Amino acid sequence: MVVQSVGRRRPARLNSFSAGAEAVFHIILGLFAAACIIPFIFVVIISFSSEESIRAIGYSFLPQSWSLQAYDYVFAMGDALWRSYYNSFLITVIGTAVSVTICVLYSYPLFRRDFRYRSFFNYLSFITMIFGGGLIPTVVICKTVLGLNDNYAALIVPMLFSPFNIIVMRTFFQTSVPMELIEAATIDGSGEYSTLTRIVLPIVKPGIATIALLNALAFWNEWFLSLLYLNKNMDIMPLQYLLMRMQRNADFLAKNASFLGADAAKAARELPSQTLKMALVVFIVLPISCAYPFFQRYVVAGLTIGSVKG
Amino acid sequence: MKKFLALFLALAMMLGCIGFASADELPTITIMFHGSNVSDDTAVLEKVNEYIADKVGAKLEVIWGTWGDFDQKAADALLMADETVDMVFTCSWSANEYNTFAKNGYFVKLDDLIAEYGADLVKAIPEALMQAATIEGADGKGIYAINGYKDFATQNCWDVNVTLLNELGYTLEQFKAMDFYSFGELFQKAKEVKGDSFYPFLVEPMVLERMVTNSIIVAGDSGSVNLLSLYLNPADVSADGAYGNVLLNKFATPEYKKFVEQMHVYYEAGYIDPALAVAETSNDTRTATQLSASYLIGTQSYALGYEYTASAERGIEVAFVPCTDPYVDTTASQGAMVAINSASNYPVESFKFLALLNSDPYLMTLLNYGVEGIHYTRNADGLIEFTDARASYTPWTNGMGNVTILPDTAAEGAGFRKTFVEYYGGAKGIPSLGFVFNNSDVANEMAALANVAAQYALALDAGAVDPATVLPEFLAALDAAGMQAYLDAANAQLEAYLGK
Amino acid sequence: MKAIRMEKADRRRGSAIAGSRFKKNFWLLTMVLPGAIWLLLLRYLPMFGVVLAFKNYRAYKPNTFWNNIYQSKWVGLDNFKFLDSPDTAVMIRNTLAYNALWIVLGLVIAVTLAIMLSELRRRFAAKLYQTLMFFPYFLSWVVASYFVLAFLDPTSGMIPALQKSMGFKATNFYHDKTWWPLILTLSSLWKNVGYSTVLYLAAITGIDRTQYEAAAVDGATKRQQVWHVTLPNIRTMIIILLIMNIGKIFNADFGLFYNVPQNSGTLYPVTQVIDTYVYRAYTNTRNIGMSSAAGLLQSVVGCICIVVTNAVVKRIDPDSTLF
Repeated sequence: MVVQSVGRRRPARLNSFSAGAEAVFHIILGLFAAACIIPFIFVVIISFSSEESIRAIGYSFLPQSWSLQAYDYVFAMGDALWRSYYNSFLITVIGTAVSVTICVLYSYPLFRRDFRYRSFFNYLSFITMIFGGGLIPTVVICKTVLGLNDNYAALIVPMLFSPFNIIVMRTFFQTSVPMELIEAATIDGSGEYSTLTRIVLPIVKPGIATIALLNALAFWNEWFLSLLYLNKNMDIMPLQYLLMRMQRNADFLAKNASFLGADAAKAARELPSQTLKMALVVFIVLPISCAYPFFQRYVVAGLTIGSVKG
Repeated sequence: MKKFLALFLALAMMLGCIGFASADELPTITIMFHGSNVSDDTAVLEKVNEYIADKVGAKLEVIWGTWGDFDQKAADALLMADETVDMVFTCSWSANEYNTFAKNGYFVKLDDLIAEYGADLVKAIPEALMQAATIEGADGKGIYAINGYKDFATQNCWDVNVTLLNELGYTLEQFKAMDFYSFGELFQKAKEVKGDSFYPFLVEPMVLERMVTNSIIVAGDSGSVNLLSLYLNPADVSADGAYGNVLLNKFATPEYKKFVEQMHVYYEAGYIDPALAVAETSNDTRTATQLSASYLIGTQSYALGYEYTASAERGIEVAFVPCTDPYVDTTASQGAMVAINSASNYPVESFKFLALLNSDPYLMTLLNYGVEGIHYTRNADGLIEFTDARASYTPWTNGMGNVTILPDTAAEGAGFRKTFVEYYGGAKGIPSLGFVFNNSDVANEMAALANVAAQYALALDAGAVDPATVLPEFLAALDAAGMQAYLDAANAQLEAYLGK
Repeated sequence: MKAIRMEKADRRRGSAIAGSRFKKNFWLLTMVLPGAIWLLLLRYLPMFGVVLAFKNYRAYKPNTFWNNIYQSKWVGLDNFKFLDSPDTAVMIRNTLAYNALWIVLGLVIAVTLAIMLSELRRRFAAKLYQTLMFFPYFLSWVVASYFVLAFLDPTSGMIPALQKSMGFKATNFYHDKTWWPLILTLSSLWKNVGYSTVLYLAAITGIDRTQYEAAAVDGATKRQQVWHVTLPNIRTMIIILLIMNIGKIFNADFGLFYNVPQNSGTLYPVTQVIDTYVYRAYTNTRNIGMSSAAGLLQSVVGCICIVVTNAVVKRIDPDSTLF
């Protein structure tokens, strides 16, 4: 029976799953995708809900009344908001560009079986995934030896390298770049850098796009470095830190209310409302979600067909 | 590729140059404050630096720590011996806890500096506060931080929504005659009138527990959830309490059992918002509920004049009914101090600055209220009225130092500071004032115990769980985590302290 | 098969390559240089900090970080005594059990979704799903915790409200341990699966299409193609991610365990993990020694796990090992 059907409907069966199976895929994927996007829609709704509605019925997909108040507040932050927005962009763009470059350059030789020090550099990177010196010693080195203090470099340099991404990238090279291709290029007299840029990089575009996406996200969402390295020059603070600081203020006051007494009550009153926090979340998530399809185009488009034959 | 190395080197060199360039000018001293909300300090620091150039011989820079950031920033700066942070806020309750850090050598002992440069300072700060700051530190007994003159007495109060109370047919006098265990009928009435989703009892469960049982925070105890307790004498706070000067496991006392049993009854009856029983949601809920005035009775640690602010804010008449007289304990008397980092290169300049800040009304006002004409103006009566620019410059007043030398604001009313000094000057100290538990020998027990307490205490205090089953479980868990050893260590130290 | 072919090729071209071997290694070395410098400065230099795990760190005179480390007293294993607590068994059990469960579930679900996505004929739908799936990864745990709270909040949350309206007693989720293993599992998968799906999908996209064509010519059904072409091609990726996850089996996702349960004490028996315990202890005591000790312990256990897993993989599939 199987043989029969294969014989009869061969092209359709072999190029894809049956229509029924694909319908099941759509249902599963659709449900999961919906579950993933709903929270964000919810955050958007909360950011447009009125404070009264939240007080009365809590967070809801259908608030009693709508309000632009949170966004008024956000825009009232004026300069501080746009400056931190600009900082986030700057840090993300520079950080992603440099970190992807370093990652590709470091992982490419690790994929080359003929590189003599391959194993040494493999370990050099890998060991740091497991062992570290701890937070305080790292910060001391960064501040005193590298001068990472109250400057953009402090928000970029500590994140330029990720052993995890090195391994992912190396695996991309291994699965999609045939060694024959590199050997052929070498025989043709191509230098190492030109082999990498002209022949190898076009093949691993999906990998690069993926790593770039991961790095961009990491830079965009980073706030802890700001806490560690920014003391006086708050003008270079990124948006994510602006939000986290509000959250941390609220947490601290909750924890220490009994020591601070009326001071805590007064300070708590000055804290931004839940809707304002949600509005900021919208501001944070929006750019990266707009940039995502751009990355994705490369993830999907970078096919390897033909590279080997050519 | 070497570009990157070059970049690093260039960066390091640039920083080096900046360091050298400023060497022939005045040195820069840096102070780190807590709880600030400051985004623009240029105008203020310009004036400050003009003023202190001769008097102090240094330029000031400020790290405006916020509530949420300060703990991490301050503890990091001290632990990594960051020489660029000369002065830092410290106290008995934040992460860079005064006694621990002074004992471990992070703060400069100030006694010699006080003798040499501190004449004005000594006049400005009450003797009692100087004493409260005198502890056994790394360099022997002495003062390791300048104690700010703020509201250093504690007075826990019932926060009463008088408007609603009257609506329910009670007077404030009638309320004052009641106590925690007889609030039930009041709550029931409120529920009947205001409907089922109204929660009359708006409490900070941990504070409520201390109010009802008259227990006091012991300085040096675990900060997040207190394990130890001393008991206050509610009739006379300077006399010994019912148990004398002995530290107890507060959860094992009959007072505690009685309290949590009553709370569970109130909780089950729907008098308490369940959100108050969850650590992270409680504060948001409490603030929101207070502002919408949808409560009948709450808890509040008193600050002079707060009833007027609260009434105005909530649009109701608020009264604060005290449970005891104001009392001074170690925790409150070390509530806001500034220490000099022992890694600082400019301890003398730093001290001169602190002495000036605490004794010079002009400097204090400038650093606290901002620049006259920009951040505030004076009205016809000479009282301070803040402008819109104050929003970008709001430091935490109580965290800065001597607040009694500030001028009165229009919101506080004329004569506020005078009343303030009288009120807090009259507060009495508890018998064991000055005692600080040094927990370093039992730090691991404390970590374990604090975790156990965090697991049970809030839910019990809020009445969310049944004490009949949970309390014995809690006590057993505390025993297993080493409560007895912890208690013994604390009591041995207290005896030694009182024996002196 | 491939390896043999390559060896042959090597031998054939051997002499040509040998001449430029030095040059080749030199140029490849310049490539790893930026990363290597970064690693030395920002990872290896601070490793002296490991000594803090065995010292009682405090300030000495003169108060500099180096002098303090130098003068601080050695205390042997004292800093590891935090493990001598009744909570230890609970936090270790929670850390290991959740991680083990999520590694397996995460792997199976992500690979399945990635394969499904790669097989959809409607490219637009595939792109849409993929884009949406990645969304939770944008949100921090703090934000995610608001979302969970919106469902579970005892006063205004959707589930308790629904229960009340249907006449049931509302569940007080933040004081009821039973639901949390499920809630945490769903939260973790929800947030992380999209991310790994994208990684796997990128790997699948990189597979040489001719392999499928060849399989089709041999008469393989689509399901067989998945089994014999797709999976073997992403096997290396799967195994390497697996080994790395196993290396982190002693490290928990802090935000998930701290923020999502709203730091509710009653839930500690099912939400306390090593990271949250150490954090809570550290904020209480500011004892660098203890946090260094905990970090070192996690590293050592992680190292052992990786080495063991790697050794096992080496026996089964030598090509996919991490090192």
